[in-house]
Amino acid sequence: MTSSPRVALMITCLADLFYPEVGERIVRLLRRLGVTVTLPRGQTCCGLPLFNSGYHAEAAAVARRTVAVFAEAETVVVPSGSCAWMVKHEYPGLLAGDAEAAAARGLAERTYEFSQYLVRRLGRTAFETDTPARVAYHDSCHLLRGLHESESPRTLLRHLRGIELVDLPGSDECCGFGGSFSVRLPEVSTAILDRKLANVEASGAGCVVACDAGCLMQMKGGLARRGSAVRAVHLAELLDRERGAREAP
Amino acid sequence: MTTRAAFLGRIRDEMAKTRGLFPATTAERPARPRERLEVLRRELIERWPQSLERFRAEFERVGGVFHRARPGDVPALLARICRERDARSVVTWDAAELGIDAGPVLASAGVDVHAMPRAVPSAPERQRLREVIAHADVGVTGVDLAIAETGTLVMRSAAGRPRSTSLLPPCHVALFERGALVETLAQVGIALEAWHDGAAADTEGAVINFITGPSRTADIELTLTRGVHGPKEVHAIFVDHD
Amino acid sequence: MSEPLITTPLRERAQQALGDRFLHEALDIATTKFIGLRREAFGEFPDGERLRDRARDIKEATLQRLDEHLERLIDNVERRGGHVHFAATADEARDIILDIARRTGARMAVKSKSMATEEIHLNEALAAAGVMPVETDLGEYIIQLAHERPSHIIAPAIHKTKGQVAELFARELKREVAADPEVLTRIARAELREKFLEADLGITGANFAVADTGTVVLVTNEGNGRMVTSLPRVHVAVMGVEKVVPSMTDLMVFLSVLAKSATGQKLSVYTTLIQGPRRPQELEGPDEFHLVLLDNGRIAQIAGTLREALYCLRCGACLNVCPVYRQIGGHAYGYTYPGPIGILLTAMLNGPRSVKELSHASSLCGACADACPVRIDIPRMLIELRKEVDETKLAPWPERVVFKAFAWLIRQPPLYRLGGPLGRLLQRPFVRAGRIGTLPLFFGHWTRTRDLPPVAARTFQERWAALEREQP
Repeated sequence: MTSSPRVALMITCLADLFYPEVGERIVRLLRRLGVTVTLPRGQTCCGLPLFNSGYHAEAAAVARRTVAVFAEAETVVVPSGSCAWMVKHEYPGLLAGDAEAAAARGLAERTYEFSQYLVRRLGRTAFETDTPARVAYHDSCHLLRGLHESESPRTLLRHLRGIELVDLPGSDECCGFGGSFSVRLPEVSTAILDRKLANVEASGAGCVVACDAGCLMQMKGGLARRGSAVRAVHLAELLDRERGAREAP
Repeated sequence: MTTRAAFLGRIRDEMAKTRGLFPATTAERPARPRERLEVLRRELIERWPQSLERFRAEFERVGGVFHRARPGDVPALLARICRERDARSVVTWDAAELGIDAGPVLASAGVDVHAMPRAVPSAPERQRLREVIAHADVGVTGVDLAIAETGTLVMRSAAGRPRSTSLLPPCHVALFERGALVETLAQVGIALEAWHDGAAADTEGAVINFITGPSRTADIELTLTRGVHGPKEVHAIFVDHD
Repeated sequence: MSEPLITTPLRERAQQALGDRFLHEALDIATTKFIGLRREAFGEFPDGERLRDRARDIKEATLQRLDEHLERLIDNVERRGGHVHFAATADEARDIILDIARRTGARMAVKSKSMATEEIHLNEALAAAGVMPVETDLGEYIIQLAHERPSHIIAPAIHKTKGQVAELFARELKREVAADPEVLTRIARAELREKFLEADLGITGANFAVADTGTVVLVTNEGNGRMVTSLPRVHVAVMGVEKVVPSMTDLMVFLSVLAKSATGQKLSVYTTLIQGPRRPQELEGPDEFHLVLLDNGRIAQIAGTLREALYCLRCGACLNVCPVYRQIGGHAYGYTYPGPIGILLTAMLNGPRSVKELSHASSLCGACADACPVRIDIPRMLIELRKEVDETKLAPWPERVVFKAFAWLIRQPPLYRLGGPLGRLLQRPFVRAGRIGTLPLFFGHWTRTRDLPPVAARTFQERWAALEREQP
């Protein structure tokens, strides 16, 4: 009899502060799938903003701490592609010469973005939603190009009962967030966002789905400002339960 | 003024500071390219009908006009091409380079034919010939290779094969036979290695031109237009020696 | 230092570009088209991925023995009667070319498109020395008439409408001209044909130079590359040292990916292999051939952070897919080379100060690296440039303070967790109907065009205790 899988959630600073309901949904869903979820204490931010802006010594210090915080975790699940990328792709390099080098490499191997974890580790792909919608999927850059992951979210959406998945033109085009880019060159960031939202509109979707809190903040921000009826949601917000499962008592 | 030694010395200094980013190799060259080319030619000649079909499809795709003719019919075909364009003046490679003599047929069709000389004439004569080429309506050449993968004609310049024959006139006609057909760019690489191979380098002229369709640009609003500086039309006549 | 530093802030230049409706539409149409063409070309080319890997490999391997390959190239060019010159800087390159022009009595030079000659600002120097430079690539001809610089590496006049082009031609020729691309092309053909036949000097760049044979390779579509290298008495090719390729076999690997990446064509219309001046038995061709090898910041990168940028084939694919370039176009970058690779090349030619802002003209989306035929990891090098800007204290001090403070804060979990209650307190005046519409100071950069979510009533970590107690 195999013991139930255990994951440590890396909630990410953006989801922690601004989208906690996404974290809640992930925890409840994983529990229903028989996964034990822990939240290692002392986690803050993965340090990506520091890394992207070139503050690498500081990013390394943050990485060192984060590696220690997640040292006991068997498997780490992250609701944002960019943070998962930071841990998997950049932590080992940042800590290459350090005592923590091996630990960093180990953490990188044990870390998954949320949709990756569901599909590639748990092998669970068939879910249903209580909120029917016509949905389009936006590939966030770090998940698509950094983690080479375009399939897992689409697999989940294709098998999701209750939604109609439509094609999003330019789904692989950036939303314009880019972290500090969004406020360093705000007009350019907004112009890029406008293009993304025009594509969303053209797709006919009532809901655009992404697996990254940064993209969601950017898209939600633009949609709200234009008073659009289109919602931008995290994939976890559409996965209410597994198909065929009964509601929790 | 930087000298060769100083320039390369600087490069060597910088190279010494690094081993590079990752282990890497350049492409493997054929050890005996001329032999390799011979073997390749023998293999290709077995497959020439397929190569020809592929060449035709790709050539037409880039806007070329394809013809097929028996050797005896080539002059008449050239005459027809001239007539359709009201061409009055044609320049051609030296007849020996071209493999056919279309002079008489074209002349009787009222077209002036200027075959380029093998021997290099005096400077005033070269200037005159340049004027002739610049005002010609049609330029007729042979080819060294016809690449099926891309619909490309490859021509080496040499005595009797001036470069501008296929460049200045608005219509370029190229004659080729089955022996010129190659399938891929990689195979062209073998030919290029062979032609430049050491002491037996077979490079009579200084230029090798790869021509893939008529001259074109899309520089104005991405609208495709043909015949910018080079020819507006390119014809390829496959001379069928069956 | 090749070019003077731009003083107008990047944000201003970007805003100006964003406000240009013509430019916006032109960029959208052109980049979308190029993206589609490239996708189609590689879509029907199953060997494409392998050849891209090979191309990258060959570029790296060449750099690892760059001196040997250049020695061989030089020897082979000289063996065929060509002359090789060595230019450490843009100044030197200009001097070399002016000297050749002077010595050969040239009064007019026809030029085939060459970013290397743009980089060294050759045209101004030629004109000042009494040698009239005539750009013959249609796009370059257009921007020369407009007194502008190219806005795209391979389609220099992409930002001009046909109406604008017609106006330029009309002004130059002093007669009415229809705004029709066919007509405009025919006019350019006739005007430039005369120049080709008259010119004393032909100047080109070089897409590649084959070391084994001393062959310079030009990849063009219009035919001007062939004209410029066949008709005038003297041909000068200007080439960055990194363009050398060892053999003809290597060359074919690059030819098989270059045009596909740039325009979606299997091959450009003309690929011209030039081995020195004309042979004695040839009717046509230049009597003199000169190859100017250009350093101008490249050599310093052999062991530098921008080494990978030396692989660049100048195809322009990264420009076409870049979300920033697609919005602001080439001129807003301010220097000779625009787009993602342009930022790296600008740093290479002009030093880190020139990219203090430009290194941030990117959302780091990675589309450029995806599209690059030699798989240059442009985002990684942009981050390295940002790091250099920070470490050499070129970044403004308030920014450095904020980032360092942030770095410290997120290593103090109790302080980080104060972010919840503190955020909720500070935001109270700004939250309306669950959204934040305006914020003061720096945060206004976001809120001017986008809403911000408020800090949650209870952050995730604040909810955790209750969540932990829930049963599945």
